[in-house]
Amino acid sequence: MKQDNSQSEPIRISKLDPKFKSEVMKHKDAQGLNACFACGTCTAGCPVHEIFPEYDPRKLAKMVKLGMRKEVLSIPYIWYCVTCHNCEQRCPQNVKFFNILNVLKNMAAKEGYAPSPWVEQTQQIMQTGIVFPKDEELAKKRESFFLPVLKSDCKKAKKLIELAGLDKIKAKKQS
Amino acid sequence: MNSKKEKRIGIFICHCGKNIAGGLNIESLVESSRQIQGVVYVIDNKFSCSEDGQVAIQKAIQNQKLDRVIIAACDPALHLMTFQRCGKKAGIEPGFVDLIDIRKWTMHGSPHRVDPEQAFEKSKKLIELAVKRMRLKRLIPLVEVKAEQSVLVIGGGVAGLEAGLDLADKGYRVYIVERLPTIGGKMALLYKVFPTNDCAPCILAPKTAYANIHPNINLLTNSEVKSVEGYIGNFDIKVIQNPRYIDAKMCTGCGECIEKCPSRVIDNVYSAGMGERKAIYIPYDQAIPKKAIIDAEHCLYLRSGACSLCEKVCPTDAIDFEQRTRTIKLKVGAIIVATGFDEYNPTEKSEYGYGRYDNVITQFQLARLLDIDGPTKGKLLRPNDGREPKSIVMIQCVGSRDENTNAYCSNICCMYALKHAQMIREMVLPDTEIYICYIDMRTTGKGFEEYYRKTRELGINFIRGRPSDIIEETDTRNLILKVEDPDIGRLLKIETDLVVLSCATIPSSGTRQLSQILQINLDENGFYKEVHPKLRPVETNVRGIYICGAAQGPKDIPDSIVQARAAASFLDKELREAKIKLPEYIVKAIKLN
Repeated sequence: MKQDNSQSEPIRISKLDPKFKSEVMKHKDAQGLNACFACGTCTAGCPVHEIFPEYDPRKLAKMVKLGMRKEVLSIPYIWYCVTCHNCEQRCPQNVKFFNILNVLKNMAAKEGYAPSPWVEQTQQIMQTGIVFPKDEELAKKRESFFLPVLKSDCKKAKKLIELAGLDKIKAKKQS
Repeated sequence: MNSKKEKRIGIFICHCGKNIAGGLNIESLVESSRQIQGVVYVIDNKFSCSEDGQVAIQKAIQNQKLDRVIIAACDPALHLMTFQRCGKKAGIEPGFVDLIDIRKWTMHGSPHRVDPEQAFEKSKKLIELAVKRMRLKRLIPLVEVKAEQSVLVIGGGVAGLEAGLDLADKGYRVYIVERLPTIGGKMALLYKVFPTNDCAPCILAPKTAYANIHPNINLLTNSEVKSVEGYIGNFDIKVIQNPRYIDAKMCTGCGECIEKCPSRVIDNVYSAGMGERKAIYIPYDQAIPKKAIIDAEHCLYLRSGACSLCEKVCPTDAIDFEQRTRTIKLKVGAIIVATGFDEYNPTEKSEYGYGRYDNVITQFQLARLLDIDGPTKGKLLRPNDGREPKSIVMIQCVGSRDENTNAYCSNICCMYALKHAQMIREMVLPDTEIYICYIDMRTTGKGFEEYYRKTRELGINFIRGRPSDIIEETDTRNLILKVEDPDIGRLLKIETDLVVLSCATIPSSGTRQLSQILQINLDENGFYKEVHPKLRPVETNVRGIYICGAAQGPKDIPDSIVQARAAASFLDKELREAKIKLPEYIVKAIKLN
């Protein structure tokens, strides 16, 4: 993973976007953000943080509050969340970090920061209606479990994706 | 005053600087108030409570020949008395001066604040209603009645004792009602107290011992208030005293009965579940009164007629199995409520495993373990295997500052965690590593910051983070917790022998029932509610009933003492003349009883 190269320099507050916080909090799900008192219960209970210390809910919440728009939306690890909801369950201030993260991911996707596997998966669903690529091996496996043959009915899935505007999301440019 | 004659009502609308004027159209409010029937004079004032404002009201009363006055301004709890005094100077009875709160609709920070149009409508309506009420008002004559020179203090902890002793020294007859068999409350069980680290029983004993022998104090231990009737000056109280099964006059506290008693019980009150006692017991060495008591639930004789060894060995024949609950009737002039607090039971926070893991305890339990007069005689051992812990983790804010349990800060937990850390390091286990996981360290009292520094100098580790959960290792029964330390930006995984939870301070059990008996209000957290959080901190909605100590909100000992003295002083002001003026209808009601 590429480290933020500006780590050694102080962050210039004047270069940040103080409106970013209110933009995030416009979403009903994310309104708890300001109540965060940075106790770190979310980070302490996060299974992802244990493996990828870069993914740190306490830090992310603070970064949003400070207005570090570009840094927050462009970092790849906001997509690492495994949706275990530990942060939300244990938070003493009902901040609901999981919801905030969803808002951030939506914003990131709209601004072109969606990771390419995610975009590929969306396309996969549009084409086949299922998450995993359909191949012979899968078909054999299903047969051995006496499961019916998969039909490729992707019309509904495609329509849903189009309605949600997910088909327009572009993957992050490889730099 | 001729009641048929139309009243001459004057209305004074206060700007309160910008607090009201900034939130609604005062001119329109003045105009609309002029239209109300019975109103002869309306004017607005920049600050009604200021000297100029009060002079303006008095002048208007004289010039306009007003006989009733309504001030539309702030909370009556704050300023009604100011304006009643102001009216009285101009010859208007206090009952004919009314203050209605329109500021709550407009002021910044008010929970009732609404937009200017709504604020206007609500204020207009309030003024209309106040005028209607004022037009119907008759003068209620005040009648002077005798005020009893006696006081009921509910709760024999440090706050109740302080208030009781203060009043007893002033000459009042004081009844201290305590639910437990001994006075001294929670403080007696704390061993040491911050920030001086002196021994709690030692500095409490002068109060408990003095209360025990004070000629003006009656101690009613093992007792609860059953009913309260009447008004300030004349409250009729019924107290239920539960049987001790010991003749307290005969018992010398020698303890021979305890030695012989075969029934062992886990002591959940005085040892916080960390030790045992017998079915017949004396709570602790410095207990007052130092008399034995029989726990009827576990006494073999009282349960099944077996045993009665205690009766056989008692050298003074003090055992009395025939004792029954008795009702004591008291007549008092006023009541002080000092029922204190309980420690929050953290079982609900299942992620910390309290109740499931033996080696997770609370700070109150730790205080009992550290006490040389406690269940382990001051030895700090792991509950599950009796081994000395090599490391201890304390977790702050368990059940406090937590929207899912208690949203408020419990005020004392930072300090008692520091105290216990100091004690363990200096007196019990100097080589044991201690980690305190905290969110914010709050040490704001006199001498408290120095205390925090001293704890740091002793080498206690402070980690600014809150663990998410605790896992127990099945074979070693050690506890594993993870916490992020932002100082180094890394996740710490701590394997420890003992975890101590700094649990919230909550109202003592029975607070709600007592509030119903007394008809006094509770706040949103279940503590007794004061009339005004800043200006009237010891009065309740019932005149003659005052509150102090942790029953009013989480509080340390210095603050409890201050508040107890305040309550005693206020009570003395009300009763010292031995007579009191009450509205006629109340006096009639008392006499009917």
